[in-house]
Amino acid sequence: MVNLTIDDKQVTAPKSATIYEAAKLNGIKIPILCHDKKLKPFGACRMCLVEVEQMKGRQIPACTTPVTEGMIIRTSTADIVKARKMVLELLLLNHPLDCPVCDKSGDCDLQNLTYEYQVNSNRFTDEKFSHEIDYNNPLIERDMNRCVLCGKCARICDEIVSYGALTFIDRGIETKIGCEFDDGLNCEFCGSCIAVCPVGSLLARPFKHKARFWAMTKHPSVCGYCGTGCNITLGVKDNKVLTTIYDEEQGFHKGQLCVRGRFGYQFISSEKRLTTPLIKKNGRLIESTWDEALELVAGRLKGGNSVAALATPRLTNEELALFKKLLVENVGTKNFDHAAGYAHTALTGGFARSFGTSASSATILDIQKSDLLLVIKTDAYETHPVVGFEINMGVKNNGIKLTILSDKRGKLSKLPDATTIVHRPGSEVAILNAIAKTLLDDKLVTATAATIAGYAELEKALSGFTAEAVAAECGITAAAIKTLAAAYASAEKALIIFPAGQAYSGHNAELATAAANLALLTGKYDREGCGVLCLSEKNNSQGAVDMGFFAQDGGLNGVQILDACAAGTVKTLFIAGENPLISYPDHAKVKAALEAVDFLVVSELFLTETAAMADVVLPVCSYAEKEGTFTSTDRHVQYFKAAIRKNIKIKSDYEVFSNLVTRLGGALPPTPALFFSEIAANTPGYQGLSHVSLRKEGAFAPVATAPKFVAPLAVAPFAPETGKLALVTGSALYHNGTLSEYGEGPMHVCPENYVELSRSDASLYKIAEGDLVTLSSSSGSIKLKAKITPRMPAGVVFSPYHFSAAPINTIWNGSPVTSVTVSK
Amino acid sequence: MSDVAAQQATEQEPVIDLSLADAIIDKYIDLPGNLMPVLQAAQDEYGYIPRIVADHIAERLNVYPSQIYGVLTFYAQFHLKPRGKFIIRVCVGTACHVQGAPRIVETFFDKLGIGHAETTPDLRFTFEKVACLGACGMAPLAMVNDSTYGGMTVQKVDEIVTDYCQRPMK
Repeated sequence: MVNLTIDDKQVTAPKSATIYEAAKLNGIKIPILCHDKKLKPFGACRMCLVEVEQMKGRQIPACTTPVTEGMIIRTSTADIVKARKMVLELLLLNHPLDCPVCDKSGDCDLQNLTYEYQVNSNRFTDEKFSHEIDYNNPLIERDMNRCVLCGKCARICDEIVSYGALTFIDRGIETKIGCEFDDGLNCEFCGSCIAVCPVGSLLARPFKHKARFWAMTKHPSVCGYCGTGCNITLGVKDNKVLTTIYDEEQGFHKGQLCVRGRFGYQFISSEKRLTTPLIKKNGRLIESTWDEALELVAGRLKGGNSVAALATPRLTNEELALFKKLLVENVGTKNFDHAAGYAHTALTGGFARSFGTSASSATILDIQKSDLLLVIKTDAYETHPVVGFEINMGVKNNGIKLTILSDKRGKLSKLPDATTIVHRPGSEVAILNAIAKTLLDDKLVTATAATIAGYAELEKALSGFTAEAVAAECGITAAAIKTLAAAYASAEKALIIFPAGQAYSGHNAELATAAANLALLTGKYDREGCGVLCLSEKNNSQGAVDMGFFAQDGGLNGVQILDACAAGTVKTLFIAGENPLISYPDHAKVKAALEAVDFLVVSELFLTETAAMADVVLPVCSYAEKEGTFTSTDRHVQYFKAAIRKNIKIKSDYEVFSNLVTRLGGALPPTPALFFSEIAANTPGYQGLSHVSLRKEGAFAPVATAPKFVAPLAVAPFAPETGKLALVTGSALYHNGTLSEYGEGPMHVCPENYVELSRSDASLYKIAEGDLVTLSSSSGSIKLKAKITPRMPAGVVFSPYHFSAAPINTIWNGSPVTSVTVSK
Repeated sequence: MSDVAAQQATEQEPVIDLSLADAIIDKYIDLPGNLMPVLQAAQDEYGYIPRIVADHIAERLNVYPSQIYGVLTFYAQFHLKPRGKFIIRVCVGTACHVQGAPRIVETFFDKLGIGHAETTPDLRFTFEKVACLGACGMAPLAMVNDSTYGGMTVQKVDEIVTDYCQRPMK
């Protein structure tokens, strides 16, 4: 700490602080325009000029100057105010002052500073700029005439997003922010640049001229897409969610969002939302009343074991727990599951065995504290972009070593000094086992590892996984495995990260235990910056596991439930929010099962393909219309309340389940808040949590570990068939599950399914970018648009799973890798 | 790529041999801060930096394409369009200006049918106004590639253009 004087006040500040930071820490405000606490100091705008006595009263920028012992600083002398006024005059010289029609008005740093410093006239005159406005993409409008060249957009795109779409181009008075060759913006559309723009140069197009900033109420909430658990602020006017608002104080991610979080909110106030219960009569869904629909459903739920349920892990913890209670206590069935029955097995089957708890042994906050990251599949960026930002920052700012084991390259591969080991699809588990074997053979394990249960069995089971044998099978070199093992063992802190989800059927219990074995062997599982982090797909995937909403104690799992529907042993199927027809493997099989089941009830926001097949459809709330808690992938339990009033004719899932409990003779369940306190008391790690205690920033549910080695099963790696390509499924950056199809923003930039293939396969099959190609497997065939990318290795094609118009499950039956043929 | 840009690309960049760029990149690949020497060598090779070369360099050096464009537009030494075989530079510095450089410039414009920093469609001439060539005693001054022409007059412009029009392009 150093001592200094700011505006005649004795203060202390950390040695590493700048004058701006020291002042802020001590409650002294220095105006800024180009500075952002998330970014490196830049010193472009000169708004933060201060006087330092030791520097002979010179005016220096507070945001770039570090503090020194005994510094005497003055932040608002008459000279300083005069200088700042002139800075504003110069900025306003070229700024168009079209504030009445600018969406930024009211939230504009330049406007606010001009007002604060009373710049009511300008001593200078000059022409305004006449740059063409960039309307080339549907989400981000760029008006460089309003730009003050603070560089924040270009810096955030480089330093945090690591996309680098924007930069300073040209020189001198002609300098502007632009893209390569002055093209229109075409990037991943996370909108980080919009968030930090201090003026109206970068605006969200879907929100243009929808509402003035001050006319909206701002509701903090938790994002409803992936499992990262980002905090968002919803801008609401006239009971409609109109936009998301950036708040740099929110969450571990400091307000940073991805394209889904920032632009995917439209599903909440969508015109397509269901507003009345529907009942199938004479083969058609007819509008009905809640009473009639619920009475019908309640009657059909009286079937004990012949009743089964699938719920989406987008429901709140309270809803999932109540649904389970309804099913177990009032219906009397154990047949319920989520995420197709396998997407949660990394937690429920993997970590449960290895760590003794169905949860990751690390949090997202560990990423930046680590020394080495081992990421399995580059898709971790696409599935959880804001976690990807953490990886970007860790690698670029903290020099963390990044190694990626993947079946294709990706955005993460481009990070500085990142090593990407591209292996044959489907061989992740074998490679992890070979690393474990190398750790054992080369004596790289910690002394305490041998004391963990299962050590001897593991040693024995790994005997076949020599680096040489596995390397040959997986299309990599033995040296790569050995180097990685040595690096992992020698790193002081190391973290393994892998995504999970319905499109990643190979990321299952086997993968989780294989990864956990590495952490246990080297003693890197329960320390800061260490562990294994499974990135769960949906916003409450971890919550669904914590609430126990998955098949156990002999209950049927997701796949078995559908089989039982087809076989006729399950007569009533209640689907709460899942869309298995699109998102579960094997379209034909799911369709046959849903057609075969006697009675299908679906509670949904939209009339999805699955809902259209139902006998009863119940319209329910989105997260913005109810209160509850979500548990992020790293067990961060967060409370959110309703941002808007729900349509009077719809109910929350909680109300639906409550109603059904009473109709089945149970006592009326308490309010979600009381019910949460009740379930928290019986859920490991949740003890003592309540809606009130979570109100401020949520809480991390601690993970108690009881480590144990799990011997791997010998999994035969995928053998490529000659003349065929290996199809791997996954998540597209712009989508999450099937919900994002109703979020207009993601659909603007990624409206349809596609297949990515390598340049060499493209030339082999004479396929050009954008061609419609037919992919055929043993399950069926599908026509998709071809995308030729340098990231795909020869012989491997990739296609995401979110799209109802061309669902990949027509050719994919759930195996991690599928043999397909490609033709034009 | 916008339609206009695509059209320009097909019009102006008929055949670009990327193996030339690869040879340059291979030479500098392990050098820290290799972007400038690679771009300079590429410009020497191609005469300018074609877009496809810039994109190729971006991919191979793992630098954002936007960043490369930022560098290319920051330094006056880089050119994004093909340049003429003969670069005509006319000094418009103080000494040349008072000696009548504006008339020399205007005459070149008329004769060549192009303006400042432009190239004739046949890629024979590129014309540039420059601020001082360091030989004020010879004002008004013009240069064609490395040849210097002092004491420029309107007649001399005519002679220079006629002379270089007859020179071979290869």
